[in-house]
Amino acid sequence: MVRFLGLRLARALLTLVLVVTFAFIVLRLSGDPALLIMSADAPPEAIAAFRQAWGLDDPVWQQYLRYFTAIFRGDLGQSMRDGRPAIELVAERVPATLALTLPALAMKIGLGIPAGIYAALHRNSFADRAVMLLAVAGFTVPSFVLGLLLVLVFAVQLGWLPSGGQDSWRHAILPVLTLGIGGAAVLARFTRSAMLEVLGQPYMRTALAKGVPWHVAVRRHALPNAAIPTVTIVGFMVGSLLAGAVVVESVFSWPGVGRLLVVAVANRDLAVVQCILLLVATTMVSANLIVDLLYGALDPRLRAQAKGANG
Amino acid sequence: MLRATRRTALLTAAAATLPRIALGQADQRPSLTIAVQKLSNSNTLEPPREQSNVGFRISNLFAEPLIETDWRGDLSAKPGLATAWRRTGERTLEFDLREGVRFHDGRTITAEDVVFSFGERLFGSDPSRADTAGRDGVLAGGTGKEPPSEVVAVSRQAFPGLQRMEVVRPGVVRFVNAQPDVTLEARAQQNIGVIFSRTAFADAESWLAWARRPVGTGPYRIVELRPDSALTLEAHDDYWGGRPPLRRIRLVEVPEVSSRLNGLFSGEFDLACDISPDLVSEVERNARFEVLGSPINNIRIMAMDRTNPVLADARVRRAMTHAVDRRVIVEALWAGRTEVPRGLQLENYGPMFLPDWENPRFDPAEARRLLRDAGYRGEPISYRLLNNYYTNQVSNAQIVVEMWRQVGLNVQIEMKENFDQLVARTPGRGIRDWSNTSTFGDPVAGLLRSYGPRTNAARYGEWTNEEFDRAAVALTTSNDMGQRRRLFRRMLEIVEREDPGYLVLHQAAAFTAKRKDLVWRASKGWPMLFGPGQVGTGA
Repeated sequence: MVRFLGLRLARALLTLVLVVTFAFIVLRLSGDPALLIMSADAPPEAIAAFRQAWGLDDPVWQQYLRYFTAIFRGDLGQSMRDGRPAIELVAERVPATLALTLPALAMKIGLGIPAGIYAALHRNSFADRAVMLLAVAGFTVPSFVLGLLLVLVFAVQLGWLPSGGQDSWRHAILPVLTLGIGGAAVLARFTRSAMLEVLGQPYMRTALAKGVPWHVAVRRHALPNAAIPTVTIVGFMVGSLLAGAVVVESVFSWPGVGRLLVVAVANRDLAVVQCILLLVATTMVSANLIVDLLYGALDPRLRAQAKGANG
Repeated sequence: MLRATRRTALLTAAAATLPRIALGQADQRPSLTIAVQKLSNSNTLEPPREQSNVGFRISNLFAEPLIETDWRGDLSAKPGLATAWRRTGERTLEFDLREGVRFHDGRTITAEDVVFSFGERLFGSDPSRADTAGRDGVLAGGTGKEPPSEVVAVSRQAFPGLQRMEVVRPGVVRFVNAQPDVTLEARAQQNIGVIFSRTAFADAESWLAWARRPVGTGPYRIVELRPDSALTLEAHDDYWGGRPPLRRIRLVEVPEVSSRLNGLFSGEFDLACDISPDLVSEVERNARFEVLGSPINNIRIMAMDRTNPVLADARVRRAMTHAVDRRVIVEALWAGRTEVPRGLQLENYGPMFLPDWENPRFDPAEARRLLRDAGYRGEPISYRLLNNYYTNQVSNAQIVVEMWRQVGLNVQIEMKENFDQLVARTPGRGIRDWSNTSTFGDPVAGLLRSYGPRTNAARYGEWTNEEFDRAAVALTTSNDMGQRRRLFRRMLEIVEREDPGYLVLHQAAAFTAKRKDLVWRASKGWPMLFGPGQVGTGA
């Protein structure tokens, strides 16, 4: 187990290093922050002064080394646009994003998984087809289209809810719905197909032939076996809690991490972008690790395999 | 337990009347919520740090210069915080300060505040050392008050010859320039030269804290700037021009144009800014809304790189200028709601405006002839542009490329992501999109900000011309208006006809959608004005 965790952590660290390096190279070689932050009409002296103040005149490899060594000292740098520590800026926005993504995650799980199970258990029924129709629609409509549609209906036509902003809990309803509907549709489809696969397995036939009641067979044998692919998808959703709302935050003018990322990338505000990427990558890697551990808890065969490998 | 006695009943009744009295005394003025695409590029509100269209839009709300611009009229100069001004020499300009003007912190403006606003605020505690070496950029957490290096550089460009602002006597200040400059009055109109409170600056904990909440004299005071989210302003009831008509103004950052319009239609926003011309008819289909807008002090141009092997021959560049039908673009993409200027100049240049100057005429036959003479054989010319950074940018590019194709020019669009990629000195750099804002009414604030010595066209290595550069220096320093006009004409001849550095397309226009019952007029520049007499609600 220790070896397993150690290997996973080493891989996670390597992933983080690669993410930081890749982002640094792409951002530094594709735009000059001085020109982007000061605007193209700024006098050449102002641009030169800005570049000098932020060390942008140094060779790229020196800037990279400086940045990388600072990370190990716990210094994630300062925003060139804002002048404040990048970590402070990002931390300020995290609650706003979680205020959307956590309720949306609950909605995805609460709606998607039961709908998928129900559709699988009532295969080819009207309910199954209705659930799948909604799931396909929710899955295929891009979030910015869905968001604008919801705004048109609930804000512009009916006037029930605000169209954007972050002033009260009512402002969160439409963005949460936009995020939740798409995710619930994905989960419903995955859960349904996983359930269908499990329901067709010989062990289900055997259980039923032994006289095990249908609902017990489903609860004891089908659900745990079908949980593996569903947990994988949920894990991915947990991993994208911080950066999964970039588009929705823009459509609903929600000042979260996603909006900050868009602005920071556009301005090549490297420290802020890197800070967000590190945070997102860490969340994603942690979620993956937890999912791996859950696999073992959910599936005795994997536990046995792990024991066999260790023994 | 409260016993229901006569006394408690009386007290309860008295208490119940209190909110009503408070309500009766409450401020009945309306508040406005305005949706904008961007609040501030730099997340600050100090004009020299925020020299952008979004910064120009809001600075008039909270700060004022000595000489104001008639933004809703002919853009001419009018008294601002100075009631009068006069030349006392070729290098000096005196201002009589308006009496009894109060800052948002309640203090009365003094000559010392003006000296501070043109000194320590722009150039640091030692204005004689106005270089940028050794200064920091904006750094939070520190308590330093020195303006960051880029602020000093921008201020130096705005007031290149400023030696000092000095107090002549209480209520009178003198601007002393190092050399003669006929544009001193016009320079004083720039929003970099607004007057801020010296005491409030001293009380601020850092330069960044100050730049997020500067204390000026405008009709509204800054309550809160939430970066990338919202800016809240409240009426400054001691405003010298009268009681502001709005209780509160809230500018909300809404990056998507469809979201801005949806918020307008649903009643959350009173105005939605930055509306593209193709959406005007969609908004006005609803009888409750209208779109206001007019040409502003910004001209869209296409810059040409004379170091490009194909464009090195001026005849190819001249052919390009003759192949574009500017009126068609204005009609097709702007529904006729903007103008084609007479070259890179605006009518508010006053005596420096050349009313008989024309853009190279639309003449495809002449364009073909020039290309034939130049021996052009269809060599590709790259045209770099951004994805609608400027309004209608991509559609405009497609139309112009087709116009060029009609005369035999093979121009190929290269989409870029940002300005750095646009101007990068990589092989093939040819044409690119650009714009030019005249920060005040003189060619030195327009043409000479982009072309000439120490400008970005020279810095990027796109275009220089020795005779043009000599004329630019002479124009900047000459006091003889006749000579200045001759020099300006000669410069336009060089850069627009003989050795083209750019091609003028049209004036930019800003469009704002609003409720019809809101009585308000857009200005002829970026600034949005909501001062006394400038906004009201209809019956």
